[in-house]
Amino acid sequence: MAVAGKGNGNANVSVRARSLTQRFGRTDALKGVDLALAPGVFGLLGPNGAGKTTLLRTLATIIPPSGGTLRLLGLDPTQSDQRRQLRRRLGYLPQSLGYYPNFTVAEFVEYFALLKEMPSSDVNRAVAHAIERVGLSDRARSKLKTLSGGMVRRVGIAQAVVNEPDLLLLDEPTAGLDPEQRVGFRTLLREIGEHGVVIVSTHLVEDVAAACSTVALMDAGRIVFQGTPDHLTSLGTGHAVGDSPLERGYSRVLAEARA
Amino acid sequence: MAHHNQPPPASRQDPRLDVPSRSDLARLGVDLDRVWSGVAGEVWARRIGPVERFAARLLRAPGLARALTATPSLVLSWLMASATVLALGVVTSRVTGIPWVPVLAPALAAAGIAYAYGPGVDPAFELSQSMAISDRMVLLSRGLAVFVINAGLGLLASLVAAPARGVTFAWLVPMTAIAALALAIATLTRSPGTGVSAALGAWMAIILARAAETREIASAVDPGPLIPLYLVGTLGCIALALLATGGTRNEVARWP
Repeated sequence: MAVAGKGNGNANVSVRARSLTQRFGRTDALKGVDLALAPGVFGLLGPNGAGKTTLLRTLATIIPPSGGTLRLLGLDPTQSDQRRQLRRRLGYLPQSLGYYPNFTVAEFVEYFALLKEMPSSDVNRAVAHAIERVGLSDRARSKLKTLSGGMVRRVGIAQAVVNEPDLLLLDEPTAGLDPEQRVGFRTLLREIGEHGVVIVSTHLVEDVAAACSTVALMDAGRIVFQGTPDHLTSLGTGHAVGDSPLERGYSRVLAEARA
Repeated sequence: MAHHNQPPPASRQDPRLDVPSRSDLARLGVDLDRVWSGVAGEVWARRIGPVERFAARLLRAPGLARALTATPSLVLSWLMASATVLALGVVTSRVTGIPWVPVLAPALAAAGIAYAYGPGVDPAFELSQSMAISDRMVLLSRGLAVFVINAGLGLLASLVAAPARGVTFAWLVPMTAIAALALAIATLTRSPGTGVSAALGAWMAIILARAAETREIASAVDPGPLIPLYLVGTLGCIALALLATGGTRNEVARWP
């Protein structure tokens, strides 16, 4: 399996999944996913119900896999002590961010810094840095219930990056962000991707084109394409469906996978 | 993404003020961003209350202490509602002579515990499942805290309710069992409403069955011959709750 990301070989692989399956009742949400990722920004594209969120929740150690093997940051999440170590180095933004409406921005980010077991002496500075990185310094003491949807999304990103994670998992992070904020967000992704693995699930192909070094396309629980955004773009040549070259590549791969 | 609170560029600084520029400071090894984050972090930091400070020392985990103080059913309004219900129970007991406090205390504890943790109750439940401090630890610490506080309230109420003095401590055993049942059902079904319903249903069934037998409420709430059943039930329910939080509920796989 080829290693995606900035690493130059298997020694640098931070995420490795082999034949990963996930079954809920009679539904197979993941049907044998193989991944080998080194540090970098990895985009996850696919239609609704393709399995992107299930894959991210599995990598976030929320759902144990039904089958296959998984190693994250060199750790085995089936072992409780290693899972705990892994979670200290993990950042996760779920698709639907639940929050305590009466918490302030700083309190919310601090809450998760503490649950990630960051050293108490580092927490305040890390919280301030994370809030700055998402451009919410002027709202740090505002209650979450007073913020717009886009601001709440940025608070979610702040809690995900507060511990400088080595594995950052973001499910639809740019939903609700305006174009300027999305540009800033992509810069943040690239910064974290310099040293860690960032996996971004999105419907927005322009996010992938701008920020991701590697992209995978999922459909019906399988990865049907993995390569660079340029490669996906090149596959769209001559295909009519889609408003941008990358969208045309996306549509073509999807159509061929379903044929 | 960040555009705020950066120090002004050197060109905007008043040349009459001999203020070192960002690059001057960088040469001296001063990282202004880091300094700013440190200052902002101190300014924005909340004050940690005495309860959280005590819990952090007791549990040796600041994160767990913070999760404890964020328990939905330990907010002031919930505690006031519980205290009000028990106060009404005290008044009614004194007027009618029927021991309402031992009847109400287990029901209140069950509701508090069912609403202490879980999806639909804890808004950040999904995120908390990916945290280093396990959701099982959060559940247990919150459940214990709610139980202890409700037991304290119940104790206070039963001491004040004179007619019930004969059974002052009798409700503690059924309260433990009923609260454990609420905990187990709420975590297994991922529904606090179902947990409360099951616990209240079981408690009512016990009271009615015992009342039919003894013909009086005071004897009905006295655990008496049911103590072994309550104890076994409590242990079984706690085991179920632990099992349910070993992985993800209602999903096939679990972390070992």
